[in-house]
Amino acid sequence: MDGSILESIGVEIIGVMSPVSICMLLVVLLVYSLTSFNSPSVEPIRTAANLVYLEAPSDSTSQKIEGSLLNALVFVILIAAVTFLLVVLYYYNFTNFLKNYMRFSAFFVLGAMGGSIMLSIVRQFSIPVDAITCFILLFNFTVVGVVSVFAEGIPIPIVLRQVYMVVLGIIVAAWFTNLPEWTTWTLLVALAVYDLVAVLAPGGPLKILVELASSRDDELPALVYEARPTVSRGSRRGGLGLLVGGVSSDDVEVEMSRRNGTGSGSGSGSGDGESVEMMDEETSPLVPNARDGAFSVSVGGSDQFRQAEIVEDEGERTPLGAILGMRDEMEPQSRGGDVREEMTRGIKLGLGDFVFYSVLVGRAAMYDLMTVYACYLAIISGLGCTLILLSVFRHALPALPISIALGIIFYFLTRVLMEPFVVGTSTNLMMF
Amino acid sequence: MTLAAGIGYVLLALGPSLALFVTVVSTKPFLILILLSSTLLWLISLIVLSGFWKAFLPIKTSAWWPYVILILTSVVFQEGLRLVLWRGYKKMEDMLDAFADRVAKPRLYLTDKMQIALAGGLGHGVAHAVFFCLSLLTPSFGPATFYVDKCSYAPFFLISAIISLAFVTIHTFSMVIAFNGYAQGNKSDQLIVPAIHIIAGTLTLVNLASSGCIVGIPLLYIVALSTLAYCGKMVWRRLTETQIRLAPQNQ
Repeated sequence: MDGSILESIGVEIIGVMSPVSICMLLVVLLVYSLTSFNSPSVEPIRTAANLVYLEAPSDSTSQKIEGSLLNALVFVILIAAVTFLLVVLYYYNFTNFLKNYMRFSAFFVLGAMGGSIMLSIVRQFSIPVDAITCFILLFNFTVVGVVSVFAEGIPIPIVLRQVYMVVLGIIVAAWFTNLPEWTTWTLLVALAVYDLVAVLAPGGPLKILVELASSRDDELPALVYEARPTVSRGSRRGGLGLLVGGVSSDDVEVEMSRRNGTGSGSGSGSGDGESVEMMDEETSPLVPNARDGAFSVSVGGSDQFRQAEIVEDEGERTPLGAILGMRDEMEPQSRGGDVREEMTRGIKLGLGDFVFYSVLVGRAAMYDLMTVYACYLAIISGLGCTLILLSVFRHALPALPISIALGIIFYFLTRVLMEPFVVGTSTNLMMF
Repeated sequence: MTLAAGIGYVLLALGPSLALFVTVVSTKPFLILILLSSTLLWLISLIVLSGFWKAFLPIKTSAWWPYVILILTSVVFQEGLRLVLWRGYKKMEDMLDAFADRVAKPRLYLTDKMQIALAGGLGHGVAHAVFFCLSLLTPSFGPATFYVDKCSYAPFFLISAIISLAFVTIHTFSMVIAFNGYAQGNKSDQLIVPAIHIIAGTLTLVNLASSGCIVGIPLLYIVALSTLAYCGKMVWRRLTETQIRLAPQNQ
């Protein structure tokens, strides 16, 4: 029995959703275990995100709203400025500087911020560990992380890189949850709007960056999570699967495979040993937004290279918008005995999206578990919608707006409407 | 110790669903998507219902009829939702089949369809357990527990976990029954599902009476187990039927 199509549809979507879920789960656990510890003595820290206004519980609501709006505005302006700076640097080919800067910021995040989180975990659970061991562990962890973020020439397993991306997201998100409540909400909304503008508006910095990178056929100098399938090279891959609406089948390809080398045609289709015809299509990454004002921008971009021969039914329309996927792309062996290097590229999701999804969920975790579940579901479904849109529009899309909007709506609906209802019925042991 | 108790409650309510998830759903990404969307749908239904009932809560009177109306409206609404889900599923099935034809893969098998129904049902069940049981569990990780006056034999968390387990079972397998009933146009299968749901909902009303849970919970479990048995019988019948039908073709 040939495997049913259920197994091959949606692999890519799950490949993006599962790390996001893991990230959110860990942030929620972290928030839970740490807030119970230092909630009375927590002091508002001044970061880039609350430069203007420091929220105090005694302030009136209008004061809080005003202050948090100002904070969000300043933060977004900061991010925009940093992003433009990065774009300018990238435009003038300061790529090495950018990469080293990314490495430095990864080092700083993992070492300093991660270190302080590690310390509070050690204190919270009274883990018996001495300072030297702790330092060595932290140092090793950090160095491996820095190396794996931009590995050039070193064969770093993709899994390690993915793990470090998630860890970076967790650390930054855990820091953002220290922000006061009003500031968090306005900040999230402002960032979602900024993301929308920066990616979609003509002249938006992230749009320029992605276009530049794709025209140069270059890796983006940014922290990006790559949902590259972890299938061993040379095995027959089931390709990707996506839910799509009304697009021709090749429009939707998100996972690409690129081959370098003197390739003959692939086994499937009409491949008869002609040269590798690369089609340079526009990118279809998910572009996120800037991450942590002081640090960097994280953008997703991917070039797509395909061999024309593989796509037999190109241009064929699926009328109702069906499901794309599953093109058994490559034959593993090369026919002419050529050596090929196969590199697959998956959907990319910027680290900023990880961070701000997790910030939302972490903020929800400070209220109740119910809001956490509701926000999680909302964010994941928003991400799913974005992925579907991605396959329709085929160019970089902001991943924040839909998810954040849904997340905030569900948070307040749950808090205001659902909680009294559910608590009321279930403490009476009534269920349905 | 309390942490262990809390985890125990979670596993009690969701253990079987976790097993189902790991063995059936998690291997097929598409089923995970189905599960997530069905969970989201259930959440939305709960929000709509609570928005509707917000005006009337909290119920001051000690009479039991408002609760009956509450349960009835909720069940009716959710059964309506099941029809919506079925419509959506039907469209999706057509698309999947068209797609399978296009890539020269076999169409959906009967077991695939049943697995989709199972994933949908599991989504409903998990959402139920999550919102009615798990979300109230936060205090149980702390250093105390909580008893309800009307059912003071066991901690509230334990009781709600037990009830949730029954409901998870009912939701999960009634979806399989319902989808099969709709697919075959079988009236009895279509009608038994709302019936089960209403019976189960009204049985929890017994808990309103003082120490009513002694009676109510076993009855609820009878309903859950008979749902399970009915579903098992129906699936077995369908599978053997199709095997008989397929056997001559294979020769």
